[in-house]
Amino acid sequence: MKNVFAKSSSPLRKIFLVSLVAFGLMTLDNSTSWLSPLYRVADSVVRPLYWITNIPARVQEWGEVNVTSRTVIEQENVRLKQESLIYLGQLQRMAELAAENLRLRQLLNATELLVDSVLVTEVIGVSPSPQSHTVTVDRGSDDGVYVGQPILDAEGLMGQIISVYGGHSVALLITDSTHALPVQVLRNGVRSIAEGTSDYNRMTLRFVSPTSDIVEGDQLVSSGLGGRFPVGYPVGTVASISQKPGDTFVDVEVDPSAQLDRSRHLLLVFTSKDGSPDRNGR
Amino acid sequence: MKPVSLTGPVTFSLIIAVIFQLIPVSGDWILWRPNFLMLVMIAWVLYQPSRFGIGFAALVGLLADTLFRTALGHYVLVFALCGAVAYLLSRWLTYFSYFHRAVLIFLLVVFSELLQALLFSIWDVPMGLQHVPVLGFVSAIVWLLVDKSIASLNFMYRS
Repeated sequence: MKNVFAKSSSPLRKIFLVSLVAFGLMTLDNSTSWLSPLYRVADSVVRPLYWITNIPARVQEWGEVNVTSRTVIEQENVRLKQESLIYLGQLQRMAELAAENLRLRQLLNATELLVDSVLVTEVIGVSPSPQSHTVTVDRGSDDGVYVGQPILDAEGLMGQIISVYGGHSVALLITDSTHALPVQVLRNGVRSIAEGTSDYNRMTLRFVSPTSDIVEGDQLVSSGLGGRFPVGYPVGTVASISQKPGDTFVDVEVDPSAQLDRSRHLLLVFTSKDGSPDRNGR
Repeated sequence: MKPVSLTGPVTFSLIIAVIFQLIPVSGDWILWRPNFLMLVMIAWVLYQPSRFGIGFAALVGLLADTLFRTALGHYVLVFALCGAVAYLLSRWLTYFSYFHRAVLIFLLVVFSELLQALLFSIWDVPMGLQHVPVLGFVSAIVWLLVDKSIASLNFMYRS
């Protein structure tokens, strides 16, 4: 007699099958790039939803612009004028230093200076996973964005582009646990590698010898080694240095300069060998 | 009698979950944001175990993998195991109070985070567990809203 309560497949068998498939997929995804088209399709499908998820931020921006008293705007205007004067003064000094630097490099027959131009972009999406530090920006291959392109905010280096689509791109932040970048101490030029830790407020320096001349408060900038990131952009500040008994190297924690989880408007860096503005007038 | 199709309400609830999942929050809060997709998946498994079981949980996990940019299969496994627990307990849980179901969600969230830490450790991705108790508590609170909403949707389409 047929058992009317019999089920098509036992839950245990299903769990076993799904686990097997899941581990197969994970292995395949971690060792090959065969499944990457699936992520591209998912990105394209999800992209329209970013418009909805950005509504709170847009409302806040609109409020800041439109629901502000005249007095506050006037005060802000005065502050911005003062800041502008200070920066213009600093710029004049920078121009003089840049010219002097160029002359010295020419005297030394060094390679010509790289000149960076930038393109302003806006964050339209943030990775929902705490383990994956990526942001989606509203510029893509239509604007000349390319894989590996550095991305900055007003405070410092934020990361690099890892996927490019027509109208948007995905950037990996420097705090992602899979990211590492070559840095140097601004004070004395000591080189190291800064790695992400999956914490937006922390990076670490790997394999730093106890005798290295690095102290708390040292500012780190990109060293330009590897050719991926341009030289001299702020990366972070050394927050703490400690050594566990028996360890060969010291643990150096770095506080990133960029506002990785707050910045909304970013800069895409285009590096060219001549200073001429490109086709987009950047 | 032919059963009423639930494709519409399930798709709708999943889209809402994706939207809540994608709303940008600052780094300090992202650790405590509940996994809305998992909560919605569990709710449907609890209310319609005959239609939505482990296979459905695995499919929602696949959606989560593409959304979270984790290795494909990571959330498939986590969701399938959490969905299986919900599926096996669904007959009893429908008689439980909202509070008792919220306690189960707390435990499921803790279980899913521990499982994820284990999976991430296989691929050498660091994952702290300090946030888990707060995440479980927040998820249990949010669950009360998800539970009510899915119950209403389920009732609306059945009647």
